[in-house]
Amino acid sequence: MLRSQSLTTEAVVTGTLLLPAAAAFLGLFCYPMFLTLVLSLRPEGTDAGWTLSHYVAFLTDPDGRAVVLLTFGLALAATVLSVMLSVPVALALRRKMPGHRAFRVVVLVPLVVPGLIGALGLLIFWGPRGWFNLLLTQVLLLRPLVVTYTLPGLILFYVWLYFPYTCVTTLAALEGLDPAIEEAAEVAGAGRWQLLRHVLLPLITPGILAGSVLTFMAAFGAFSVPLVAGGNYRPLAVEIYKQISVPIPPHWSGASAIAVVMGVVQVGFLALYMRAVRRFGGRR
Amino acid sequence: MRLLARAYGRGLWDARAVLGYTILVSLTLFIVAPFLMIALRSVGKGWFGKLWLPPRLTLEWYRWAIEVGNIPEVLRNTVIIGVIAVAISTTIGLFAGWAFGRRRLPGKELLLAMFLLPLMIPSITYALGVARIFYALRLVDTHFGVALAHVAVCAPYAIMVLAATFEGLDERVLEAASVCGAGPVRRFFHVVLPLVMPGILASAIFTFTHSYNEFTLTLLTYGPHTVTLPVRTYLAVGDGYWEITSAMAVLMVAPSLLILALVQRRARPERLVGGFKGA
Repeated sequence: MLRSQSLTTEAVVTGTLLLPAAAAFLGLFCYPMFLTLVLSLRPEGTDAGWTLSHYVAFLTDPDGRAVVLLTFGLALAATVLSVMLSVPVALALRRKMPGHRAFRVVVLVPLVVPGLIGALGLLIFWGPRGWFNLLLTQVLLLRPLVVTYTLPGLILFYVWLYFPYTCVTTLAALEGLDPAIEEAAEVAGAGRWQLLRHVLLPLITPGILAGSVLTFMAAFGAFSVPLVAGGNYRPLAVEIYKQISVPIPPHWSGASAIAVVMGVVQVGFLALYMRAVRRFGGRR
Repeated sequence: MRLLARAYGRGLWDARAVLGYTILVSLTLFIVAPFLMIALRSVGKGWFGKLWLPPRLTLEWYRWAIEVGNIPEVLRNTVIIGVIAVAISTTIGLFAGWAFGRRRLPGKELLLAMFLLPLMIPSITYALGVARIFYALRLVDTHFGVALAHVAVCAPYAIMVLAATFEGLDERVLEAASVCGAGPVRRFFHVVLPLVMPGILASAIFTFTHSYNEFTLTLLTYGPHTVTLPVRTYLAVGDGYWEITSAMAVLMVAPSLLILALVQRRARPERLVGGFKGA
């Protein structure tokens, strides 16, 4: 009797401890999401009636489909390039050469610095008067290249911003490897390339995978950088913001419908990610 | 001796080391050069045409940034909002972290993953709803309102870091304190608090950084009285005066670099990325 009562007290105390977090979660996440969903089903500018027209309009409009494709394409390209950049960097960092600590900090810089400042620096550096084009025209004597406000340029900026996710997880996976495995491979006569191709890469694939999903999700949700550096290229997040900031009166319902689409897709990725982690991440 | 000479020779011309440094130095240039250009832009004068470096130096742009860009007030807003957001999220994190780290809780993993959800969904998707609610409650354009919006992303960080901190508390140390005759109050202040202080500090640093850099949620809830540094930079980039914008950026980025140094020294960098590993 006493025991069951103390159990109830325990539960009440635990519940009370979780109350503020639950309040914040419900009030700042669930209810806003619910409100967005409701709003997306209302005719524009009203609080009554139901309609699916915003979804239909967005998904059948060629511009709308182009936005979705662009968002996917940007995120995918950024992810692939991030992996290609991260693996050599992580392999180099793993060797703990003199000064590796400083390089480790450098990798984290894009994560810590506000995205907008990164975008500003990238716009200046890769711009027509930036060092990149000076290098091309003055040193290599080539013709100048327009990078800023183009699609490849935007992909490049995404890589700059989001590759640290992949890099950090890849490095963590590499450093979590048992040195004995490598020694065994070397004893067995594996060359450097064989070691990389047949031993290291397969072993760190879970790490690379985890990191690249993080990069993908971050790139999929990117907002500030495409907002200022995207030019005419508007991924989903920017499109949502334009819907409520450009037209007068703002298209809240239209924006909400796009937000719902985006949220659903992101939850789908998240589910995929969780499955991948569960499948590959047994070693953690 | 011969071994030593060989090691020296290998160190001098180790192809792998050369390759490694080449990769790392190019990466560093790729990442850092944009900031160098911002810094130079902010102090350069008459930097036109095909010049690698500004011909003359000036602090004029900083004067403009401070006077026209209103940086002192913007900085004040950002810090006030950050402090409120840290206070609210740390409070939430302390309670929830204790529940997650120290108490029996059925479905703990799932619940924690649920609370971390706002970090994994692009914030624009719920920022719309937050903005609608805040308009209705007249919280838009108040320091408290913007800070409260930041709590949506700051609280999950606090919960995550503090749950890990409390979980790491060693039961035996607490028992030892009791055995040595420390009462609950004394035990809390002299044993528990010093042990968890680094965790609380790390959580405060993380949440403050997030609030300081938060752009999306701010953009949808700010007003003329609550312009923060990221919003100010956004407006300035749109204006296109890049010298002045660069000066603003330098004033703004200095604190984040300080935070980076702190983080690198005090915490594992994976945590910055983390949030996804819990589940």
